[in-house]
Amino acid sequence: MPPVFNEKCTACFKCVEICPGDVLREGDGKPKVAYPDECWHCGACMMDCPADAVRLDLPLWMRPVTKRVK
Amino acid sequence: MTKTIKTDVLVIGGGLSGCMAAINAADHGAKVAIMEKSHTERSGAAGTGNDHFWFWDPEIHHRRGWTIPDMVRDISFDGEYGKTKGGLMDQELLEIVAEGTKEAVDNLESWGIQFRYDEIYPWNLQYEAPEGEKRFRIVPQFQSEWDTLNYDGRDIKRRLTEQCLKRGVEIYNRVSGTGLLIVDGKVVGATGVNMRTGEFHVFKAKAVVMATGMDQMRLFRAQSGDWFNSQSPPYITGDGEAMALRAGAEVFILQAGKSRNAGFQYFRNLSRSSGTATTCYPAGRFVNSEGEVMIRHPAVREPLRKRREEVERSIAEGKTPFYLDLTDASEEEIRYVEWSYGHEGLCWVILEIMKDLGLDFRKDAFELELEPTGKLSGGFLALYIDTDCHTNLPGLYACSPVQFAGEVAAPTYVVLGWRSGEKAAEYAQEAAEPTLDAKQVESEERRVTAPLNAEDGHPWQEVNKEINNIMEEYKGYVAGWNLPREDAEVSRAGLENCIAQLEKLKAAEMKAEDPHELVRCNEVMNLIDIGIMMVKAALEPEQHERGIWFLGRQVEGEPEFRKTPIVIKYPSKGDA
Repeated sequence: MPPVFNEKCTACFKCVEICPGDVLREGDGKPKVAYPDECWHCGACMMDCPADAVRLDLPLWMRPVTKRVK
Repeated sequence: MTKTIKTDVLVIGGGLSGCMAAINAADHGAKVAIMEKSHTERSGAAGTGNDHFWFWDPEIHHRRGWTIPDMVRDISFDGEYGKTKGGLMDQELLEIVAEGTKEAVDNLESWGIQFRYDEIYPWNLQYEAPEGEKRFRIVPQFQSEWDTLNYDGRDIKRRLTEQCLKRGVEIYNRVSGTGLLIVDGKVVGATGVNMRTGEFHVFKAKAVVMATGMDQMRLFRAQSGDWFNSQSPPYITGDGEAMALRAGAEVFILQAGKSRNAGFQYFRNLSRSSGTATTCYPAGRFVNSEGEVMIRHPAVREPLRKRREEVERSIAEGKTPFYLDLTDASEEEIRYVEWSYGHEGLCWVILEIMKDLGLDFRKDAFELELEPTGKLSGGFLALYIDTDCHTNLPGLYACSPVQFAGEVAAPTYVVLGWRSGEKAAEYAQEAAEPTLDAKQVESEERRVTAPLNAEDGHPWQEVNKEINNIMEEYKGYVAGWNLPREDAEVSRAGLENCIAQLEKLKAAEMKAEDPHELVRCNEVMNLIDIGIMMVKAALEPEQHERGIWFLGRQVEGEPEFRKTPIVIKYPSKGDA
């Protein structure tokens, strides 16, 4: 379920402020994904996180399909 | 719980175009407010960046003998891109856009966005600059001339937000526009609702600029199967167009169409197009399953015919799937692509995802999603503006979406935003103090907040899915117009049935559990209004003269954008 917040989160809630889809809310000590189905996976939360505390856990069906060439 | 705001110019939508409009309206002395559904720092199609910008430089291009009319002709007819569009663009507006691009770049640069570099690369346009002066990284991009800049645009929305605030523009984030307020045929403001608090907002304004974005996402079934797996923001749901329609504005409609060739634009699974088009310059190759290079690079002037032939041949030979493959590129080229990805919306995040999944452009080829010949694509609706960005409604200006000038994306919205801000501010200076109609405001508040107050009703997702079903039917019936004449009546009955279903859906009660869902419910209501308008327009026989459906017609000889489209006023019964 994207995004995922790790222990580095300082609960500044910058991500909650800027989330383009309004899917985040202030949770207990860290943000919570209030509307996970509406996440656009745009990465704005990760981009603006001052603590490097966000990763995007892309659902399996959205992951690029690749082939190792080299 | 109602908040009332008084301003000279209200901008609805704080994306690229809306911020530009607000900045320039303020520079022309207006008091300005932005009503933004999301947050201006990261909202809109350029929310997480933009790395390419079509532009005309009076020195560089003039010296190369490349004029603005050349550029407009190229993108409308001649260039590889133009050939796919066949004149479906408003060339007068495009000329205004082209003329405004250099000023736009100068402004953006002065606000802290880097456009010029000490180092340019062999694949950039080599041009002379005075000793010690930094140069643009200019690339060819579907066009016949080198007229696109690559630049550091990741934080363009943050910089624009700073410039708005610096000028005292009041930004109302998380407030979604719901309706235009009209008194004596003039636009006197708009209403909105806060997506987090539910607070109803009433903006009293002398002029309104509509800048809600370039799409009606979630009107049609998403190609990916998921509304939120998309190239354009899935939150751009035609709110501005629906508001304007309800107020009687004229619109431009591109009807659903049928593709004539097989193609691809997205990664498999990940519905994002810039990473497989503009942003992989100069290293992205399209290869078939045998590793044979079909297209050296999509953004360079490879003849479109060749591209089609290569794709069709590989399909016929069973050499599928296709891949975006950078593995034979030099390290320097790959670094350039990674820089571009780092600044283009939705591409920076792909680099991050690649890190997590252990993927590398140097080693891995990315599968592309094939689109079959005859695929039906959805329609598009936009506000119809004159060259001053004015709609037919006094006091209502628009910059995004507007009739088919938007195909060059960011530059269109930056320049038309800028222009609409200036024109709206000038209009506001002359306009009388607006007076609101209290009854109108009251009934609008009732209409908008109904799902929150409803005891029972359908969740927005349920209604949205049914809209998709109906619009899929419409796509099929529109394609039916391609059939012999005797089948036309079948399509007509089908289209009328679509309208009846949409009207029925409009009457269905919705239920929102919170203000966030309330806004989603309103988006869905807007999509219904847009759908009804689009299907009604498809019933007008005059427009069915081309393979691509639009409110215009192909004249003898060269196709041209028609300046006087057929206008069907909402909510009439479809009278032309």
